[in-house]
Amino acid sequence: MNAGVLLTTLALVWPEVAMAHAPPWGGPENFYSGLLHPLYVPAHALAVAGIGLLAGQQAMRWQLVAVSAYVIGLMVGFAAMVAAFAPLMTGEILLATAAATGVLTALARPLPEFLGALLGLATGTALALDSPPSVISLSAANVILIGTSCGATVLLIVIIRLAAALRREWQRIGLRILGSWIAASAMMVLALRLAR
Amino acid sequence: MRQLRLLLCSSAFFALMTLPAFAHTGGVSGGFREGIAHPIFGPDHLIAMVAVGLWGAFLRSPAIFVLPIVFPLIMAIGGVLGILGLPLPATEPIIAVSAVVLGLMVALAARPPLWLAAVLVGAFAIFHGYAHGKELPASANALAYSLGFVVATGLLHLSGIALGLSARWPAGRIGVRGAGAAIACGGLAFLWRLA
Repeated sequence: MNAGVLLTTLALVWPEVAMAHAPPWGGPENFYSGLLHPLYVPAHALAVAGIGLLAGQQAMRWQLVAVSAYVIGLMVGFAAMVAAFAPLMTGEILLATAAATGVLTALARPLPEFLGALLGLATGTALALDSPPSVISLSAANVILIGTSCGATVLLIVIIRLAAALRREWQRIGLRILGSWIAASAMMVLALRLAR
Repeated sequence: MRQLRLLLCSSAFFALMTLPAFAHTGGVSGGFREGIAHPIFGPDHLIAMVAVGLWGAFLRSPAIFVLPIVFPLIMAIGGVLGILGLPLPATEPIIAVSAVVLGLMVALAARPPLWLAAVLVGAFAIFHGYAHGKELPASANALAYSLGFVVATGLLHLSGIALGLSARWPAGRIGVRGAGAAIACGGLAFLWRLA
């Protein structure tokens, strides 16, 4: 039996073992829960997809600025959460950034780097503040937050690299169509939330 | 051995995926399904969306991609009007009229300037969006619902474009124009029912 089979077997049985002997930090399922959190909350996935597709259309330097600002935003957001900052309208900010990035993706124009920094920072901060862990234990909450940071960062980088790999004309058009879909969905739900 | 490895990998994947899924059962899939169903099971929306794609393909580049990009963005403005409850008169009849007009454009092989085609499609998009937007507040998960109907609308455009690409051949051209005529007749039938 080679290492790959051994590792997948271990991955298969690991969560069950962890549940039976949960350590104070809650076990690996808390990390997985945080890791996949951005994928399971539609507003988060939409916002990350929006900035990822937009960055994928731009130059490499723009992508680096946007990702750096996004990671800084995540750190700032989680630090603010740890400092017991009560966030207001973070969901609405995420939808607004998704709408803005969606429209900019549909337009497909070269953009200044400061805009990448601004959108990255806003998305990262709002995503972090909108991901409060629902556990009482501090150590378990920290594990979830670490998982969310990793998941949100990896998700953004994967989307950027996928979007940047689309070089053919019809693929670039498909990217713009996806941007218009993201913008349309985000705008309507933002309006709904603000109307309430 | 290879099958065993595949089985283990897929089992591990699903085992890992199911754990966090239990934490988020807020009706996301239900909302998405409802959203997908709205344009697809609303025949008046369906034929008008297919007509947009057919017309885009008929007009060729750049209309073939401008119209599917313009439509969702303008439709969102209509959706916002519907969500805010602002009055928009004769929504349902104008949706039926959109099928008649767009179907006729395809049937008559009309080739107006791109800006005119975009304005016409955009104007109808407001009414389609308004109808979708009015349904949105009742949905279990508004974002999943809106994503569902935007994706369904886009896929209907793409299916229209795929059909419309057959207009490159003489027989396909007749078929596409025939489909346009059928869509116009369908729109007239909806108008008749509303009268």
